[in-house]
Amino acid sequence: MDAFCQSLCADPIAALSGWFVLVPSLVLLLSAAAAVAARNLVRAALLATLSFVALGVVFIALGAEFVGFAQLLVYVGAVAMLIVFVILLTKPEQLARSPLAGAGPAGGILVAFALLAALLGFIFASPAADKALPAAAAAAPVAAIGRALLGEYVVVFIALGVLLTAALIGAAVIALEDEEP
Amino acid sequence: MIACLETAPTALLHWFLALLASWGVPAWTLPFVSALIIIGVLLGVFLTLFALTSVLERKILARAQNRYGPNRVGPFGLFQPVADGIKMLTKEDLVPRSADQIVHFLAPVVMLIPALMVLAILPYGRGMVPAELDAGILYFFALGAGTEVAVFMAGWSSNNKYSVLGAMRAIAQMISYELPLVMSAIVAAMVAGSLSPSAIVEAQGGFWAGVVPRWFVFTPWGFAAFLIFYIGALAEANRSPFDLPEGESEIVAGHLTEYSGFKYALFFMAEYVGMFAICGLMVTLFLGGWQAPLPFLDFVPTWAWFLAKICFVAFTMVWVRATLPRLRIDHLMAFAWKFLLPMSFAAFFAAACWHFAGRGLAGWLVSLAIVGAPYLLLGGAFARRFAVSRRTYRFSQ
Amino acid sequence: MTLQIVLAVSAVLFCFGLAAAFSRANAIMVLVGIEFMLGAANLNFLAFWRFSGDPAALTGVMFAIFSIAVAAAEAAVGLAIVILVHRRFRSVEVDDANQLRG
Repeated sequence: MDAFCQSLCADPIAALSGWFVLVPSLVLLLSAAAAVAARNLVRAALLATLSFVALGVVFIALGAEFVGFAQLLVYVGAVAMLIVFVILLTKPEQLARSPLAGAGPAGGILVAFALLAALLGFIFASPAADKALPAAAAAAPVAAIGRALLGEYVVVFIALGVLLTAALIGAAVIALEDEEP
Repeated sequence: MIACLETAPTALLHWFLALLASWGVPAWTLPFVSALIIIGVLLGVFLTLFALTSVLERKILARAQNRYGPNRVGPFGLFQPVADGIKMLTKEDLVPRSADQIVHFLAPVVMLIPALMVLAILPYGRGMVPAELDAGILYFFALGAGTEVAVFMAGWSSNNKYSVLGAMRAIAQMISYELPLVMSAIVAAMVAGSLSPSAIVEAQGGFWAGVVPRWFVFTPWGFAAFLIFYIGALAEANRSPFDLPEGESEIVAGHLTEYSGFKYALFFMAEYVGMFAICGLMVTLFLGGWQAPLPFLDFVPTWAWFLAKICFVAFTMVWVRATLPRLRIDHLMAFAWKFLLPMSFAAFFAAACWHFAGRGLAGWLVSLAIVGAPYLLLGGAFARRFAVSRRTYRFSQ
Repeated sequence: MTLQIVLAVSAVLFCFGLAAAFSRANAIMVLVGIEFMLGAANLNFLAFWRFSGDPAALTGVMFAIFSIAVAAAEAAVGLAIVILVHRRFRSVEVDDANQLRG
């Protein structure tokens, strides 16, 4: 307890940084599980939004503030609102049928469990992954990200612009009401 | 003495922390105590501003309409917020039985929390930023996205078709105006070279010819970006002339229909605190933040200048509310996508040309041309499209 | 707080997304599952960047930024297709879109 207080005294943010990652991760996993299992579609969308927020907080806690804020802006502000709008526009019947499709629990969830077991086995058996948090606080200053975007990654940046333009024009055209002749 | 007033808030904080340390409080708690004190002060200042604005807005609107506003409770009606508070707290909290109880309860909370959190990055004075973030402007807009989620939660959970319709319109309006808002903020960030609000304020220091301050609003691209930001701010805060989502004569109260009592007060508070926050950001980005407008006026403390500028911008927002009629939903969407967004791109391009033409007179003229041409073309097209034609009266024969 | 814990969180989130994409009947929930999977991949990239000990090598951060942008574009197109499917088949359930001729 005394060592904890000493480390907290020296640098409170660094001492708590482990908890800053773990607590939002817990919120993330619980809300993601609830979103996947929820019967009520709008509740599922709101829980998915909560998991996006928690994921953004985890990114910020890991030191990538720009990515965290971008995650909040894009996922919560745009993707979640798109999901919500499409739910309202398509108005699916809330209680009509079972929320599960295809082979039901035996199919998808079993495959997911098998994959999870395999992944966790690899992660905890790998010696390369058994790393502690580096002492130096990781920081990705916005200026460095900007310089990288327009320097080393400029081709990807421009390609992304073209991709986004094409995707948004395509989405608008697809969803347009076609007039019956 | 004047310099002492300037540094008074930070000096008081440090004195209090030193006092606590001398009382034997462990040193590791001091950052948390400091944060709590700053949060308390910010909440105190902005909630007082909220209370004052709720009565001053009604009085200003009233004066614009040639009547007195509330003038019964207290001197000049200034204790009206106390009466309003008592009313809100004692009103019955009605929740429809078929409403989604949890989401209905959480919507005002989710609305208020981002509105209060964005106050952390504004530079209130020289060296007086509560949270010195490298990407402060991005933080502001990321939290603005939370407001949209709250509006949807409020609208859908009320289980009322007017609420859902009002919520969808409100979200469409907010998303449409968010783009020109972010673009015009990026214009200021690009010229200052940083996303940090205090760096943007510092970049607006100094004076041209010793008289005109180097605020971004005094350049053509900055003026255009300021106007676009101002209109976008009105729309984001759901204020008139963009208050279709909550206009009483249009759609009952939109997404707020099924809210009464304290929850309605929380929405109300979130709207006003959000308005002050975005006024604060406007002042930071375009009006020079805590900088004084004339060189000899810098004996006034920087935090007083910031407060005065925010109050002035808020006053103009109330003035606009008293003056302009409400926009229809298709008009406001067309205005956002077909006028404001291209104009914000023009301002962005003009700012870049101003920078590369040497930030002097040549740059000023070039950027004026780049901003003026689309304005005249698009504005002319808009005026012709939405022109009110000569009214013909037909009487029954 | 080791790298393994953060990777484990990312793996669990990925498998939740996979379960949603495989077993949910509503097409919108399938898309939510896909977004979870993309988010888990981003978390993986950022975890490796954070624990690498060389924060100036921004590859992980840049990849995560690009991935967020691409995910947004994909969500927009996917949801537009969901609207189109709803218009044609009058239902958003994946089992109902069972005719090849549109």
